[in-house]
This record gives sequence, C-alpha cells and structure tokens, in this order.
Amino acid sequence: MARKVKPPRMRIGKRIKEGEVFKVKVRFEHPSFTGLGQVDTESDPMFNRAIPVSFIRNMLVYYGDELVSRFSMTSAIADNPLFTFKLKAVKEAPVKVVFIDNEGERWETTGDVKFA
Amino acid sequence: MKRIVFIPLAMLLSTTGILAAPTVEQFEIEGLISPASPKALTSELEQRLGVKVVDLNLKNTDSGWPVLSVEFDSAKLSKEEIEQAIAAIQDPAGHKYQVHKGPAVVSAAYTDEEEKAMAALGPDAPDVPALVNPIETSDESVGRGKELYLKYCTTCHGLNGGGNGPAAHGITTFPRQLWAWHNADSSADGYLFWFITNGRNEMPPWGVVLSDDERWDLINYIKTIKVPE
Repeated sequence: MARKVKPPRMRIGKRIKEGEVFKVKVRFEHPSFTGLGQVDTESDPMFNRAIPVSFIRNMLVYYGDELVSRFSMTSAIADNPLFTFKLKAVKEAPVKVVFIDNEGERWETTGDVKFA
Repeated sequence: MKRIVFIPLAMLLSTTGILAAPTVEQFEIEGLISPASPKALTSELEQRLGVKVVDLNLKNTDSGWPVLSVEFDSAKLSKEEIEQAIAAIQDPAGHKYQVHKGPAVVSAAYTDEEEKAMAALGPDAPDVPALVNPIETSDESVGRGKELYLKYCTTCHGLNGGGNGPAAHGITTFPRQLWAWHNADSSADGYLFWFITNGRNEMPPWGVVLSDDERWDLINYIKTIKVPE
C-alpha cells in the first residue's frame, strides 16, 4: 500500500530566555498500521494479517550535538502524531528531531533556539 | 465391450495432458481487510481465470497471513499468471490484493544511530509478562493484600476497586477500575507488578514504598476484586 509521508515539521517558541523551560512541538504526517484486519465479523470474530505493518519505531531528540531523549513506540501509535515535549534552554543550539520507522527509513527536522 | 474401451480412453487423455490432473497451489494474500474482501476475491478470481478456489483460510495459518488454495490446470495456467490476476483484482473498498512473499513481518534491523541512542539512554522496557508470581494465592496472602490495599490504594481506586476513591476527584487520568483484573490468569501478573512498581501518570511508583512480597500479595488481592452487583 502506498504511504503518504510528508516531512516532519517543528515549532519552537520565539521568546526564549536562558535557563527557561520551553516547549517543542513536532508534527509528522506518517500513517500507522497494525497490519491487522477483521474480515470475518460474524461466525468467529478474530483478527488476521491484512496489510504489512508500518509505524514510527523511534524518535530521537538532539539538542546541539547531545542526544537528549529517545521515544520508543509501537504499532499502537496514532496516524499523523503530534509530539510535545519540554527542554531547558541551556545553550543557543539547534534542536534536531529524528524519526525512524519500522522499515528503517529516516526523517529529520530541526529548529533553532535563540535567546531573546 | 463398450466398458473396456471407455477406461483406456480416459487413461490416454490423462497421459497426453488433455485431461491433466488439477494442481492445487497455496498463496498468502495481502489486502483482505474488510468483511466484503474474501467473497470479492474468490468470485472475481473464479470468473476471470476459470479456476476453482478450494479454500480461503483466514485464521490459524502458520504465518498469520490468510492462505488461498486454488485448484487449476497446470497445462493451461502457471502460478505467476494467477499471482498477476490476484494483483489486478480490486476490492469493493478500493484496496488491491497482492500475494505476500518473504517473512511474515518485515522489520528492518536497527540503524547505527538507533544502536548508539539505545546504548546511551538504555534499551526498551524489559519483557514484563515473563515475571512469575512467587507467592501462591491463599487466604493469608489475599488477607495481607487487602490490608495493604485499604491502606495505600483506596484513596484513589476506591473501597471496591471502582476507581472512585476520594482523591480520584482531582486527578486528570482516571484511576483504573481494578475489577477488570478479576480472576485474571498468571500472564497478567508481570504487567501488574511492573505497573505497581513503576507507576504511571499520577500513580506513584510503589516500588519505593512496598517490598516485593507485599506487592505480590497486593496482586493476589486485586485478582479477587469483583464487580459490585
């Protein structure tokens, strides 16, 4: 099945002070399938494999060169997820978020942190 | 005399390939996703190629993929032609079918970047269902569990496990209704133990308060909580 994947987008506040905690929002339009379907709904309802499974496996967050966090996910993740997390503004450096899905494909997005 | 002539004729036809024995091949099918899919696939395939669908096994197959058994004349048709025909059929819901090949679940190996991150930040959560309850369910164990329950858990989970304790009022994540675990089998033990130990959202990690044995007693008690009538 053809997947419609758009590159992820990131949003960071513009007025960040040093030492402050700020929010990062990342939106990624990636479909998520468990791969299961329920075909026989009457006699003995049970799931069978329907289509190949597809989901975001890992999300890695870098602040500057440092790896800050890893989000580990399963096929229960939503379609087109929106991730929000908080970081402490300790330096002026780009925030990079990397997505890797179960097929090993990789996407990334970055946003700059600049002190007001 | 007539009968004697009849039998060699049938044998002759079968050996020359005109009346060849039908072959049965099995295909793993991708795309069976809606209740209308199986019928649409089998009737379309029979109409287009004139083959006979012997069986469509949706459940209890080895790989988990549905298996379609097709009976056809190997002199007229090949396996590849049937695969192409299956790929050309469209589901009423708009999905396309396909013959599945390769392993049941395709999952790429971890990339170098992921390996590095897992080494730096720790691997995934351990396999919790593997834990085994060392304390047998007995009246004593359940009694001890009940005491602990009334002391620590009732404020949120309520006296009868309904998730409606007095402190639940101010909590954004609703406390679980514990009667869901009534008579749960032993595979639930590891999950419950992990959950009680580590906590989640507003639930505190009881691993720092209760000992291992106390937590197992608590699990034995939780499994006796019934839905109030």
